[in-house]
Amino acid sequence: MALPIALIAQLSLRNIVRHRRRNLMLLVAIAVAVFTVLIINTLIRGMQADMQELVVSNLNGHFKVHAPGYRDDPSIERGFKLAVDWAPANPSAIEGWAARVRIPAVILSERETRGVQFVGIDPAQESISFLGTAEIDGSLLSSADDRRLLIGKEMAAQLETRVGRRLVIMTQGADGLNREAGFRIVGTYDTDGTTIEKQFVFTGRNALQKMVGAHVVTEVSVRVDDDGAHRTIGEGLAAFFADLEVKTWQQLEPLTASYVLFADSAIFIYYFIVMTALIFGLVNTLVTSVMERVRELGMLRAVGMRPGTVVAQVVFESTFIMMIGVALGLAAGWLVFQALPTDIDMTSWVEGADKFGIPNIVRLRLQIGDIVLVTFLSILFGVLASLYPARKAVSISPVEAMRR
Amino acid sequence: MSDEVVRVSGATRVYNEDTIPVQALAGVDLRVNRGDFVSLAGPSGSGKSTLLNVIGGLDRVDSGEVTVDQVSLTGLSESELSDLRLAKIGFVFQAYNLLSVLTAEENVAFILQLQGVSKSVRAERARETLAAVGLADLRDRLPGDMSGGQQQRVAIARAIAADPVLLLADEPSANLDSQTTTGLLELLRHLNEDEGMTIVTATHDPMVMAYAKRQVHLRDGAIVV
Repeated sequence: MALPIALIAQLSLRNIVRHRRRNLMLLVAIAVAVFTVLIINTLIRGMQADMQELVVSNLNGHFKVHAPGYRDDPSIERGFKLAVDWAPANPSAIEGWAARVRIPAVILSERETRGVQFVGIDPAQESISFLGTAEIDGSLLSSADDRRLLIGKEMAAQLETRVGRRLVIMTQGADGLNREAGFRIVGTYDTDGTTIEKQFVFTGRNALQKMVGAHVVTEVSVRVDDDGAHRTIGEGLAAFFADLEVKTWQQLEPLTASYVLFADSAIFIYYFIVMTALIFGLVNTLVTSVMERVRELGMLRAVGMRPGTVVAQVVFESTFIMMIGVALGLAAGWLVFQALPTDIDMTSWVEGADKFGIPNIVRLRLQIGDIVLVTFLSILFGVLASLYPARKAVSISPVEAMRR
Repeated sequence: MSDEVVRVSGATRVYNEDTIPVQALAGVDLRVNRGDFVSLAGPSGSGKSTLLNVIGGLDRVDSGEVTVDQVSLTGLSESELSDLRLAKIGFVFQAYNLLSVLTAEENVAFILQLQGVSKSVRAERARETLAAVGLADLRDRLPGDMSGGQQQRVAIARAIAADPVLLLADEPSANLDSQTTTGLLELLRHLNEDEGMTIVTATHDPMVMAYAKRQVHLRDGAIVV
């Protein structure tokens, strides 16, 4: 015999209304739990995405090509030639790419000396890196031929210099001999992380190639636009640059990659902790509710309702309450998410975190996948939590139940 | 069609209460034919409610056999017993046991809904049955807003709405005053004599016994008369 769904729904809804105060408290508890999980999710997802973005935009891209051994010995001797008309295949899936010359150098001002990564760029290609969004005091480099310097704001402070002043850069040329040249500062850049500002000094790519005496690049970064195209593009790059190394950002920054993966687990762990606490309350309430109605449930069985139908009714009730609670929690979470500022400044909470690559500004992110996950698991928990009291109810014989 | 609605043969039932065995039924034999109105009588603990429960499939015998409308209850699963009760037996309980969240009409229609009867048919049947027990005007009331006698009439309406083969009533007058009990018994007599319904009651109320066509007395789990 098929389950009398309409009857089960009718009885369940009437019972929910009958115990409205208790069920209201239960609804609030579920809604608060779901709301909390959702807001924490947006924070974790925001930090996760921002950390990934920081690493990708930190001159890595999603893929980076360089010569074997370059990562251990990043010198101009590890450069490689790149055809002038080269461009990645599948351009519609690519946000952009940049070919650079990056070598270690020493930078000197009148007062200070620092070791830096000296990077020759084509500024037109750098929309894919942090230079695309950094605040610039002065101006950006004008082209790959620009023979001026763009330095970090923090570096400028350490060197006690400013836009318009000259700096001297010493590095090693392709012939193994030291090269030294003076450059004028065209601008300073300001990013989220002071480490970056102290690390990179930029000039035009052609200008740097001329200085070191080699028309080569040391790296090509590719930033992918279509998440589904990562594998294809990676395989395409590996095939084209068969003699070179093609690394993903995860391979280049394994610590951050681990954190991003951990964030997925953290969401699950946090969710299970909150929901486990809630489940105890839910089971307790349901057991109380069912035991109060054990006589009624006994009568239902006595007049011909199958044990399975009785179980279905109890499960339906709790699942329905769970669904309403989840809907309220999601709605509240969505409203608060909309009301909160897009960027949350965490500086006062995590001072100095940027030194470890954690951004000070967290952009909250609400993912549809998380909403689906929270909804699905909550309802699943509701069903599981109600099975125990439901089974307990039908384990009592109708005669015994009606005596109570 | 056989005239025999209920047959109990050599039924025994022992309860182990606090590890002390209590013989609730001690080899009971009983036949109830179509159109009978049988009253199971006896003092408390005589086994009359247990006998009613095993006839209704709410309890199982330890030995012996029970058949209802030619169907042996021995070996039926809980779900099969539920289906049998739903299809063949109407129950009237001492404490009415109406669903407090449903109106009188919904309580009556409830059994029909379990049977899968269409909404329009069960609404019509519920109204007819409520009218038959004299409660046509109270069909929208909740049980909590009705007197004990009215609730018991709704319980009877619920029990007979699906036109069962057998109506079982356990102490139907226990919570009613004598005037209400008389009205209830007249209703049962009407159902039995005019509608041909087979009725078995368990009672220690002499008024109920007086309305029955046949009295079966039990003592210590055995039929004595």
